[in-house]
Amino acid sequence: MSAVVSTVRLHLNQRVGTFAVPLYITATVAAFSVLLSLLFWRSGSLPGTAGWIQGSQSNPGIAYGLVGFLVYFGVASVAATFPFALTLGATRRSFVAGTLLWYAITAAYITVVLAVLTAIELATDHWFAGFYIFDVYVLGAGDLLRLVPIVFLGVLTALTVGGVFAASWVRFAARGPQLIAAGAVVVIVAALIIVLPAVGTLVAAFQPWWLAVAAGVVILASSVGSWLLLRPAIVR
Amino acid sequence: MTNAIDIRSATRTFGRTTALDGVSFAVPEGSICGLLGRNGAGKTTIMSIIAGQDRPTSGRVEVLGHGPFENESVLSRISFVRDNQRYPDNYRLGHVLRIAPEFAPNWNADVAAELAEGFRIPTKTDIKKFSRGQLSSVAIILGLASRAAVTLLDEPYLGLDVTARALFHDMLLRDYTAHPRTVLLSTHLIEESEKLFDRVVVVDRGRVRVDSDVDDARDLAFTLSGTTAAVDELARRHTVLRSHTVSGLKSVTVLGAMDDAVRADADGLGARIAPASLQDLVAAFGEESSESIEEGARA
Repeated sequence: MSAVVSTVRLHLNQRVGTFAVPLYITATVAAFSVLLSLLFWRSGSLPGTAGWIQGSQSNPGIAYGLVGFLVYFGVASVAATFPFALTLGATRRSFVAGTLLWYAITAAYITVVLAVLTAIELATDHWFAGFYIFDVYVLGAGDLLRLVPIVFLGVLTALTVGGVFAASWVRFAARGPQLIAAGAVVVIVAALIIVLPAVGTLVAAFQPWWLAVAAGVVILASSVGSWLLLRPAIVR
Repeated sequence: MTNAIDIRSATRTFGRTTALDGVSFAVPEGSICGLLGRNGAGKTTIMSIIAGQDRPTSGRVEVLGHGPFENESVLSRISFVRDNQRYPDNYRLGHVLRIAPEFAPNWNADVAAELAEGFRIPTKTDIKKFSRGQLSSVAIILGLASRAAVTLLDEPYLGLDVTARALFHDMLLRDYTAHPRTVLLSTHLIEESEKLFDRVVVVDRGRVRVDSDVDDARDLAFTLSGTTAAVDELARRHTVLRSHTVSGLKSVTVLGAMDDAVRADADGLGARIAPASLQDLVAAFGEESSESIEEGARA
């Protein structure tokens, strides 16, 4: 257990990356969202109208801004940190367990940050000016009970997917990520071939929890995949 | 004496490439052992296996009495920083000094601080922007300040200036004397390091060629120099490891001890005879042809 905790601390050693960069990205996206709102305002759209709210809540900028960074962070947490962790004396087992624990901590942190910012946005009637930055559809449209699982599972998915790609690179060099990407494409296309005739029915019956289950499957597959890939991996 | 490191018949292959071919040697607890050989001889692979970062394809490796691979209690007592060590993105010296004690139970912050100051390692520059010498300095800090029971130093001198090398020598000996441990050190700066060693292991093409006390190693070979005819005559009765000819003059390094008979023959033919230095020995084994290695193995 101690080596697992040490591995978590190894990841948390990058305090700026874990705690500050998500805030920088969030602040940058918020600034762009405000600028975009001002642009629409100047072009004639009025804050508080149905069209304004509909358009503002459709802005997925916050998700796009964070997902790219989180996938990179997941990659770096394995590709660059695994060799150093082994140098320090971590076992592969404790590295994988500690990394998953750190993913969960990071996901919880970002969830809390976005939940607090959303709560402030709602409490201030959208920053006293009708700006929709966090009260957007992609984050649950202001419903904190939906925001929490969306952000937590979304962050965890991005980190674990980045981690498994990096683990495949550590294990098989460039061929690893290529094989995983090719495998994912095959699975997705095969799934589309199967479900396409019934796509109308599926769309009509769609429930949001399906996405949570899908995220859970991806997180589980990526975590198990990372362990299977790193268990025999060597450092060169 | 108990062995801290015990490798028996370790072979490591990567596809069709054999990096280690039946390597066997032991390092007694508390000794400083030089691991010597040419680039690509297998030194880093050996260290990597000892540190549990790799596994032999076949054979057995024990460190402090146990297999190191995925063995948490053994790994916490080993320090190994490879010569091309990778660090996490955006890491600076402070990150390393902050996290290393978490994994090294015997970490000494004073040793780390003294080395960091002595090496003049920048604190506000990312490690990925460090020079070769600065990277070696960070590796030395990790290696020495961890005070690990088994310390593996992989080419610690790479890029170090003469002042930094002297600091490393002083610090290693001072800290080793106060806190004895087992040290396995690979290097190409043999003359500069050999006073540190009490044992040497010489590897070439993945095989152990020499495994002995450092004093005994010097008796394993000698050099003959003189006219080509005289040297050829003297060398005829020995296994020649290395040969060098310049306009009628020849120098060879041959296997075997310098006895009185050889001295007398050399005097008679006007050739010069001298014990081979450790550097001569390593250079000679590194230059030896594949054929003579095969013959040696068959013999």
